[in-house]
Amino acid sequence: MSDMPLHALPIAEAGRRLRAGSLTSVALTRHHLDRIAALDPVLHSFVLVTEARAMADAARADAELAQGTDRGPMHGIPYALKDIYDTAGIRTTCHSKLLAENVPQQDSVVARKLAEGGGVLLGKLATHEFALGGPSFDLPFPPARNPWNLENVTGGSSSGSGAAVAAGLVRMAMGSDTGGSIRGPAAYCGLVGLKPTYGLVSRRGVFPLSYTLDHCGPLAASVEDAAITTQLIAGYDPNDPASVDRPVPDLRAGLEKGVAGLRIGLPRNLYRNAAELTPATSVALERLAESLAAQGAIVEEVTLPDYDLFSACGRVLMIAEAYAIHEADLRSRPLDYGALFLARVALGATLSAADYIQAQRLRRELSEAVNRVALQRHDLLLTAMALGPAPRFDEYPPDRAGPMNIQSIPFNVTGNPALSMPVGFSEDGLPLSAQLVARPFEEALLLRAGRAVEKITEGWGVARTPPMALEAA
Amino acid sequence: MSQAQEERDAELDLLLRRAGITIPPERYAGVLNGYRDLQAALPLLRSARTAAAEPAGTFVLDTVTRERTP
Repeated sequence: MSDMPLHALPIAEAGRRLRAGSLTSVALTRHHLDRIAALDPVLHSFVLVTEARAMADAARADAELAQGTDRGPMHGIPYALKDIYDTAGIRTTCHSKLLAENVPQQDSVVARKLAEGGGVLLGKLATHEFALGGPSFDLPFPPARNPWNLENVTGGSSSGSGAAVAAGLVRMAMGSDTGGSIRGPAAYCGLVGLKPTYGLVSRRGVFPLSYTLDHCGPLAASVEDAAITTQLIAGYDPNDPASVDRPVPDLRAGLEKGVAGLRIGLPRNLYRNAAELTPATSVALERLAESLAAQGAIVEEVTLPDYDLFSACGRVLMIAEAYAIHEADLRSRPLDYGALFLARVALGATLSAADYIQAQRLRRELSEAVNRVALQRHDLLLTAMALGPAPRFDEYPPDRAGPMNIQSIPFNVTGNPALSMPVGFSEDGLPLSAQLVARPFEEALLLRAGRAVEKITEGWGVARTPPMALEAA
Repeated sequence: MSQAQEERDAELDLLLRRAGITIPPERYAGVLNGYRDLQAALPLLRSARTAAAEPAGTFVLDTVTRERTP
């Protein structure tokens, strides 16, 4: 690793160098800020760069280490936040005209934990408006672009998080995931994206999209980076009504244990007949299943309820809950929303109480099918994430939902932890992905399997750095 | 367009008006597109369910009181 550029250093390795005195947080932070200045004018991943705070935090981190104060694995490590995470004294817009001047007085719990852990905040990242919408050109900031090809979307809604980590502007960025907003950008940008179990990570101070579907989690350049981050931000929060009071296990201890002996269910029925499934994605999933079996996993076909049921259920819950949150502003200032967000959330006015309740009833059945049937017999599920590579911007109409080729929402509906992993490339050189799913609160096992996938795909030559990011090194 | 579709489309106007939401004319086509798509998905919610399929989890005492139950 001695010849690695600073932005490519894993968090653990950067930490070792910081503690050994061969690297300073100031130098690491300056390197990332310089990359942001060089690359972000075309990527648009940041809506705000907090340079002065970052340099001050980095200097403090260095001074603390010199004095023997070590705040843990994120000490001195740069990171960034999706712009729906409240940050005290720092503008938090949700990428919307409605909150263009919003400056919170308190940090979100995740922002506070990252700061207390010694992390260095580089800035706030682009999102789809209020974490829904889509890639829009009628908002206060332009949409983030995919570093693998600027003509392609990053996926959303954690669009800036995906672009920034993929381009090496930051090693880890926080996203949020209501229907796939961490895993989608991770899939399209060739990253690791972890949606933890519902209730593991506090959502306090993160602008809600849908109370019962929202999750906070990281987009990272590696499984270990995702594990380090999640370890820091997880834990009970009495101020988050969804938070669950239980100990958080060591998420890194078992990463290298491999998959031998694990039972992995392969629910091909979810994606096999989807029109959007590309041959390359299908081949990558089968190849991965074979590789996991070759490493000793017991990979077996399993059948889940039809994807359309998960999708209808999650969509109704999301729209109804988002509408409840935005109802007053939709009435009083509809023109301040972008066209895409308005087109999706105004539909909440057309849903009945019975629609919402039927969706919750269906949710119970779907959760039972995943947790009391499929994951009773299997330790993990391996399934599709994105069914193909990132679409192009010109495939999205300006006023309605565009292409939808990701299959993430089932595990927002059920609350299971789910991990998007890069597994290869399309013919056009865009990242492809797979998804691993575990039982609730079994993130350690999920990340362990993710690490095994990471090693397998390293053997396939799956690159992690887009050409434009390499050129800027 | 079928008469049934026209009637469903007309319901969108009614429901938005009742909710007090005014959609600008240039954005109406996008909302209507989403409405039709959503309406097509709603029957999936209404297949036969068992008595066990009720959203009781919303009201588990643990969640309300923030205390552990035995």
